[in-house]
Amino acid sequence: MGALQGCQTLAITKNMNSTATATRRAYSRPERPLRRSTGDAILGGVCSGLARRLGVPTRTVRIIAVVTIFFAAVGPAIYLALWIMTIRRGESESIFDRTRSDKREKEIIFVVSIAVIALLIALRTLGLHVLGLFFWVLTLCVLEGLMVWRGSSGDERDHLRGLTTSPLVTSMTDTKGWRGVAIRTGVGIVVGVWGISLLSRVGNEQGAAAYVLIGAVALLLGVLVLFAPWWVSTVRDLTQERRARIRAQDRADMAAHVHDSVMQTLSLIQRAANDPGEVTRLARIQERDLRIWLANPESFGRPTTNPSTLAQAAFEIEREVEDNYGVGVDVVVVGDAQLDDNSSAVLAAGREATINAAKWSGATSISLYIEAEPDQLSMYVRDQGTGFNVDAVPRDRQGISRSIVERMERHGGTAVIRTSPESGTEVELRLPVSSNPS
Amino acid sequence: MSPEKARVFMVDDHALIRAGIKAELAGSVEFIGEADEVAAAIEMIIERSPDVVLLDVHMPDGGGLAVLEGVVERDASVKFLALSVSDAAEDVIAIIRAGARGYVTKSIEGPELIEAIERTAAGDAVFSRRLAGFVLDAFTKGADQLHTTPSMLDPELDQLTPREIEVLRLIARGYSYREIATQLDISIKTVESHVSAVLRKLQLSNRHQLTNWATERRLL
Repeated sequence: MGALQGCQTLAITKNMNSTATATRRAYSRPERPLRRSTGDAILGGVCSGLARRLGVPTRTVRIIAVVTIFFAAVGPAIYLALWIMTIRRGESESIFDRTRSDKREKEIIFVVSIAVIALLIALRTLGLHVLGLFFWVLTLCVLEGLMVWRGSSGDERDHLRGLTTSPLVTSMTDTKGWRGVAIRTGVGIVVGVWGISLLSRVGNEQGAAAYVLIGAVALLLGVLVLFAPWWVSTVRDLTQERRARIRAQDRADMAAHVHDSVMQTLSLIQRAANDPGEVTRLARIQERDLRIWLANPESFGRPTTNPSTLAQAAFEIEREVEDNYGVGVDVVVVGDAQLDDNSSAVLAAGREATINAAKWSGATSISLYIEAEPDQLSMYVRDQGTGFNVDAVPRDRQGISRSIVERMERHGGTAVIRTSPESGTEVELRLPVSSNPS
Repeated sequence: MSPEKARVFMVDDHALIRAGIKAELAGSVEFIGEADEVAAAIEMIIERSPDVVLLDVHMPDGGGLAVLEGVVERDASVKFLALSVSDAAEDVIAIIRAGARGYVTKSIEGPELIEAIERTAAGDAVFSRRLAGFVLDAFTKGADQLHTTPSMLDPELDQLTPREIEVLRLIARGYSYREIATQLDISIKTVESHVSAVLRKLQLSNRHQLTNWATERRLL
């Protein structure tokens, strides 16, 4: 019985064992074809891609990759080569294919390789033979890195950009964390000391100039590694501060404007609450004011005392009549033109007509319509007030006869006044425009 | 116009404005609902299918334009009358081209607004003075201002007939449809059909630069 039990237990464990192997095998079964992975990628996803292809744990591949860095940097060169040649999971072509099919990219790679090779030859002539293999591999790495940088897809680029904010990197560049500071200081000192030691060999050996060069670069690099984070964070703080200052400035401008205009008007309206006419007038002024400000905040506050176009002159009339007579003026301008003597005359006559309407018609709003056509300028001033009898206006009242009719005639135009008690008054001003303005 | 009152839905994010308009139109139209935000407005308009939607142009989350686009893509038969404090050219052009049947400013008088709502409900177009001015400016002032070569323009859609120009000019001068009919010795129905034709041209015209034009001339 005991044996039986034991047998059963054995069977169970055996069973469990086999399922475990099954899952393990399913997990690590070699996968074809070789693809760079997207999910558990640290850099290009080459290691985990390789691991899947070969059916070995990802970590093993990664450790091998890191170790090979120390064999004349052959590891990184192979890594980058795989990065370029292997298609990323979910994409249709590799970085190498992409680069090859783009003329501009090919040119860039070509130019950079020429430059790097030229540099290498220059270093060799300076007498630097020690770094032979290492340097060639490094060159390869640089070119491959360049291809990755230029040719990676948008998706991959996002992934790489994400790396710069990963905990590992931020802890390195963070000015506060002790670990980052320690790592950085260590690296900085090692590189810097190496540079100094190279520099100190000057004069003792052949190829001294090359050591000076590399030593100086190394020293510089060391200093950079040591101080870069502080510099970066200072720049970042400065930008943030500037941005905040601009925001504050905007707010202040806005607040100042709202206070100067809207708040003042509201308090005036409260004081004039029992005078509907005054309230309407204030509200209208404020509305126009805000409209102009919204449309063009820059020019706001600079009164157009010298309007240079028809539209500006028309809005000037609107402003003047609304402010002085408390009657709304609604301006519509079609086409626009620079003001000259003749059109100024039309505007002046129109202004007179508008003021007349504001004073006498009893209408609450006046429509002003100006249209500039190539061959004529027309202006209509219309109110829906009480109308008046043109003939009944005494001759000595100069408004209509002299300011409107005669002025238009002097400039070669016409003025027609239509008025009736039912439909109000419309003053029509027309001025032919010479087709060749001198 | 029609014996039944128009069923109106109002979209405006200011409760005060909604209350004011309702008070002014009370008895003349039938309010079947109101909304103060874009998403809710779209749902309720689709659900209740009003005759006319009174639409505020400036609201958070995309404004009247978002409501208009959201509703039109699901039910193109809803008629919109835009009602706004702003009559900046680019707002007007954008909202009309998106499918609104008319555009009036909030300073409009009660009776005129009622007339505009009835006209919209009947499927006609409602042009404010300023909108008429914009259209005249955009359609008659030559292609050079629009950076469009004349050959790109479709004469059917991109040009106004002399009669349409005449009608628009009278609207811009401040005439009501009735006054225009008297002035031109035609019926009000004819005036309405001219204005509807202009609206159609404004919406279908391939003057892609209409909005650019509007932005350039925003002060007018």
